[in-house]
Amino acid sequence: MRCRFVPTVIACFKWVVDEAYIRLRPSGDLDFSSVDYKIGEYDRNAIEAAVRSKEALGGKAIAVTVSMPEATKGVKDALSRGTDEAYFVADSSFGNLESSQTAFILAEVVRTRIQQYDLIICGEGSSDLYAQQVGPRLAEKLGIPCISFVQKFSITKGQLVAERRVEEGVEVITAPLPALVTVLPDINVPRIPGVKDTLMAGRKPTVKITKDELPPMGQPLLRTVSITASRMERSCEMFGTDAQEIARFVGSLRKRGVVG
Amino acid sequence: MDFKFTEEQELIRKNVREFCVKNVEPIAAEIDENSRHPAELFKKLSDGGWMGIPIPQEYGGAGADFLTSIIVVEELSRSCSSTGFTVSTHASIMCMMILLFGTEEQKKIYLIPMAEGKRLGAFCLTEPGAGTDVMAVTTTAVLDGNDYVISGTKTFTSNGPIAGTFIVFAWTDKSAGRKGMSTFIVPRETPGLRVGEHFKKMGLRSSQTSEIIFKDCRVPKNNLLGKEGAGLPMAMAGFDGGRVGIAAQCIGILQAALDESIRYSKERIQFGSPIARNQAIAWMIADMATELSAARFLTYHAAWLKDQKLPFSKEAAMAKLYASEAAMRHTVKAVQIHGGYGYCKGAKVERLMRDAKITEIYEGTSEAQRMVISGNVLR
Repeated sequence: MRCRFVPTVIACFKWVVDEAYIRLRPSGDLDFSSVDYKIGEYDRNAIEAAVRSKEALGGKAIAVTVSMPEATKGVKDALSRGTDEAYFVADSSFGNLESSQTAFILAEVVRTRIQQYDLIICGEGSSDLYAQQVGPRLAEKLGIPCISFVQKFSITKGQLVAERRVEEGVEVITAPLPALVTVLPDINVPRIPGVKDTLMAGRKPTVKITKDELPPMGQPLLRTVSITASRMERSCEMFGTDAQEIARFVGSLRKRGVVG
Repeated sequence: MDFKFTEEQELIRKNVREFCVKNVEPIAAEIDENSRHPAELFKKLSDGGWMGIPIPQEYGGAGADFLTSIIVVEELSRSCSSTGFTVSTHASIMCMMILLFGTEEQKKIYLIPMAEGKRLGAFCLTEPGAGTDVMAVTTTAVLDGNDYVISGTKTFTSNGPIAGTFIVFAWTDKSAGRKGMSTFIVPRETPGLRVGEHFKKMGLRSSQTSEIIFKDCRVPKNNLLGKEGAGLPMAMAGFDGGRVGIAAQCIGILQAALDESIRYSKERIQFGSPIARNQAIAWMIADMATELSAARFLTYHAAWLKDQKLPFSKEAAMAKLYASEAAMRHTVKAVQIHGGYGYCKGAKVERLMRDAKITEIYEGTSEAQRMVISGNVLR
């Protein structure tokens, strides 16, 4: 009798500021005083992909996050989206972790707590900083293959086949499992949890891990000096399409210092 | 006091908002214009478990508290008042009445498909000559062997053209006065039940409303809901929950009016600056935001009292009275802020203003709410 492949798929997510609540001060600074939080947009795709894998093949979908202790709502959100259990690594100092630190913690949790898994899915980048670092760094720390920019994938026993969207087309890549993929929003449309899904989420198992239970992680090396909103200025200059006008257009860009 | 929602309630609000942006907002103007019931939308609402939110899971609902259902009605109404109302009246009156007063058999046969959204409910009390004056109802139910035979005409029946299950009030003993009215569950397929044409209304146009005519309509004794003669108090209990639902609908309308007014007044340039910088406009928006907040607290408090199983009849009437009159007042202001653009079809505030008016009329007029409130405080 053949053994059925029932994978364990891990979805990592970040609980980020919901940009709809960020206000702009007259000075151009961002006002975060009344913000709410949400699961990052691409991370919702990662969770949905993990849950769809479970629904298609059986097995288990696990949500993992590293965040502030207040992110319990985010954990319930991830569970309401169909994941079976969650690992919640929380500490009040985890509000501004660097990608390398987040990857370190996630790797520790995957290696020592979850142990058996077939696939890890991360969003291509977080909704707030979009550094695109955590996925590849996590794969590196775990010593597993990493495929980024994934718009479609399938898994069978021992093997992953993933479509990467690259600039000029689609690249199809295979890799042995366990592996890690970082997914694009094109991969799926995340479901909207129903009322029952949300109400049942709190009853699903959540493993809470504190900072003290982890080995010491490295110091952050990056420092955010400031964040300001980008401004769009329109000078309402009109250009034609003939050679003379194009030259005038380039001249105008040079004059403003946009091109050298 | 704790003014904080649970994490689940906050998530459900976000989810229903996302659902509305994707599924309700894009069709709201069209279903209003065509007075169309969007069956495809209600299928999605049923699939998501949004139709029977406060009903226990064993009876097909989501098993949430009443306050959660109020949050959902508020958010639905922010996008489409008709949709919010249809969900609200179905869950907080029809489903709730069978849950509260039905036998186990009635819950299994009627409540489960209703809470799952497979059959909509309709409440048949109002008649051509009996609005606020419920004692003027003329519909009768006469016991004949093992059946009741219902005869009479109901009107302004919300969900009438699309409902599968009707809750009908009729005299079983007119001479007994307030103890002579009874309530019946009547499936749509019952011979003798005829659904009239959908009324074309000023607002709330995609909510379906019609006459329901009963002519020698025979239902088994088992379809009596609650005890014979207990119809009036049951109707009043149904109204109490329903009024909090209407108040939630009004909050949704008010929030939408505020959203639109803030957006437009910041965009609209007159005399070289956005009209929001004019005190006349800014103060209209300040009043709108303040009364919206007041309406919210009254509504959530009434819902909370119901969840605590405390008396909430007066609070429900207060919430409905205040929220509906605030919705009317401020949707008129929202149109004023939008000027000529707000008076044209396609402007959301135009629909909001038409939708607001009915909230001062149905589930008891503002005058009826004042009767309930004064009756309570003057005791």
